[in-house]
Amino acid sequence: MSEGRIYRAVVTLLGWGAVAFLIFPVALTMLVSFNESFFIQVPPAAYSLDWYRNIGNIHEIASATLTSLGIATLGATLVTLLAIGAAIAIVRYPLPGKAALTAFLLSPVAVPVVAIGIALVQYLIILDMAFTWYGLMIGHMVLVAAYPVRTLVASMTLYNPSIEDAAASLGANRWVAFLTVTLPQLKPGLISGFLFAFLISFDNYPISVFLVRGGLTTMPIELFNYISQNFDPTPAAFSTVYIFVVSAVIILVERRYKVVSLSVGR
Amino acid sequence: MTTRAAAAGAALRTSMPGILLVAPLVVFLLAFYVIPFAGMLRESFGAWTGDPEAVQAADWTLYQYQKLFDSARTLRALWRTIEISLIAVALTFLLSYPVALLLLRLGPGLRSALLTITFISLAASLIVRNYGWLVVLADQGPVNNLMVWLGLFERPQRLVYNKWATIVGLVHYCMPFMILPIYGALSRIPRSQWESARILGAGDWTTLRTVVLPLSMPGIFGGTTLCFAICASAFVTPLMLGSPATSMISQVAAEQLLIQLNFPFGSAVIFTLTALMFTLVFAYALIVRKVLRINV
Repeated sequence: MSEGRIYRAVVTLLGWGAVAFLIFPVALTMLVSFNESFFIQVPPAAYSLDWYRNIGNIHEIASATLTSLGIATLGATLVTLLAIGAAIAIVRYPLPGKAALTAFLLSPVAVPVVAIGIALVQYLIILDMAFTWYGLMIGHMVLVAAYPVRTLVASMTLYNPSIEDAAASLGANRWVAFLTVTLPQLKPGLISGFLFAFLISFDNYPISVFLVRGGLTTMPIELFNYISQNFDPTPAAFSTVYIFVVSAVIILVERRYKVVSLSVGR
Repeated sequence: MTTRAAAAGAALRTSMPGILLVAPLVVFLLAFYVIPFAGMLRESFGAWTGDPEAVQAADWTLYQYQKLFDSARTLRALWRTIEISLIAVALTFLLSYPVALLLLRLGPGLRSALLTITFISLAASLIVRNYGWLVVLADQGPVNNLMVWLGLFERPQRLVYNKWATIVGLVHYCMPFMILPIYGALSRIPRSQWESARILGAGDWTTLRTVVLPLSMPGIFGGTTLCFAICASAFVTPLMLGSPATSMISQVAAEQLLIQLNFPFGSAVIFTLTALMFTLVFAYALIVRKVLRINV
């Protein structure tokens, strides 16, 4: 075998092996969700849909999922709106200390996630806002604000501002030019920034655990509690539903807006 | 003097629209990120009164930090965090680089499918993915069954709730964050670079070592830095796949707050971690720039 063929074989083998490693636990979770037995058993001896019916028995799962959906939707919308202004300012306007400012806006991603929760809970207790849904949402917003900033800056850098000038020279005022020319161009950055912010907020555990108490609870908290107290495959059924919904959303959004390619380029 | 003031005024006028546009986000982050963090830093220099509702930090003291460096358990957790993170980042890199190389060689259809899979696993819940590892490594799980069948284990072994299960979970979580930037950097290497290496007689391995690896360094740097930050601040993964004996530093800090209600000590622990993380990332960037002379 020639050197080139060995090289290609090694890359192919290692590459697909790593992909299998990435997929394996998720695929296995799906398989186990159809297992009839109470215990995790691979491969399942008999199949049933019982664990899907049992999803409702995860404590408060319906209301917790609704809370997570509400907080992630509103929080991601708000940070995306805030990020539009910030991204336009960073890409298009002169700003004092721009590099430091950008680093600051992106920094919440780099600090320990637990730290955001720990710092906020003490502060929100002083403000008398602790353990409310909006206090929880604020915590998530701090964590996820960097994502729409990053994707919007990326999609604006690719975009040619002279098109907007052309619109202006054709008689459009600044707002009309912004709404009809600039905004549609920003769509991929907007969609993928919102999607990142939404998914990370929806999935967050380490901030929420500090900011929930009493009746206020989220999907990851309840799922985590169920997994740590029970051994049956109900979480596998829930995970399977979750993965299907997330995959469907991502594939649909990717078809229209190419979010995946946007997350690759920088 | 007046011209300077006028110039400063003109500079302010030209940057005014930008300042106004960025202001809402900056104000939000100041109110709910900078001030809470400053408060936490201040608190870590305070004494503990034993009453979490009435935290008193009247005087400045290094007591909490002293306590941290006297506590063998905390120091062990800190060291374990760094060790687990470094191992996990190295393994993630070794698994992810071939995937990025593979992505580069695939046709458009397969490539987009593989990128979508990577993206979906990035978006799939961390708790869901850790649960998947609980299933894979379960006593009656496939790994145990395989090992028994191969005769390597006499009977099923407990494979979860230890350091290596935590590392496996972290590697799995980090892979998309490593694959995407490295693939991004690889896809930006001009075709001509690969070809000129070939024309000069370099084989595939030599090209990989001398051309492709150095040119993909920005992606490697971005990916490894991000993964290190993720691993060093990991909380959920060691909680689900590790044991109390293998707890990482975020767990120690959280326990101080949630169970001991000792806010000053918890704050000191989390600040030490933050400072350590930034120092290590800074040193890493410095080494890559100065020693390897690669601009990242």
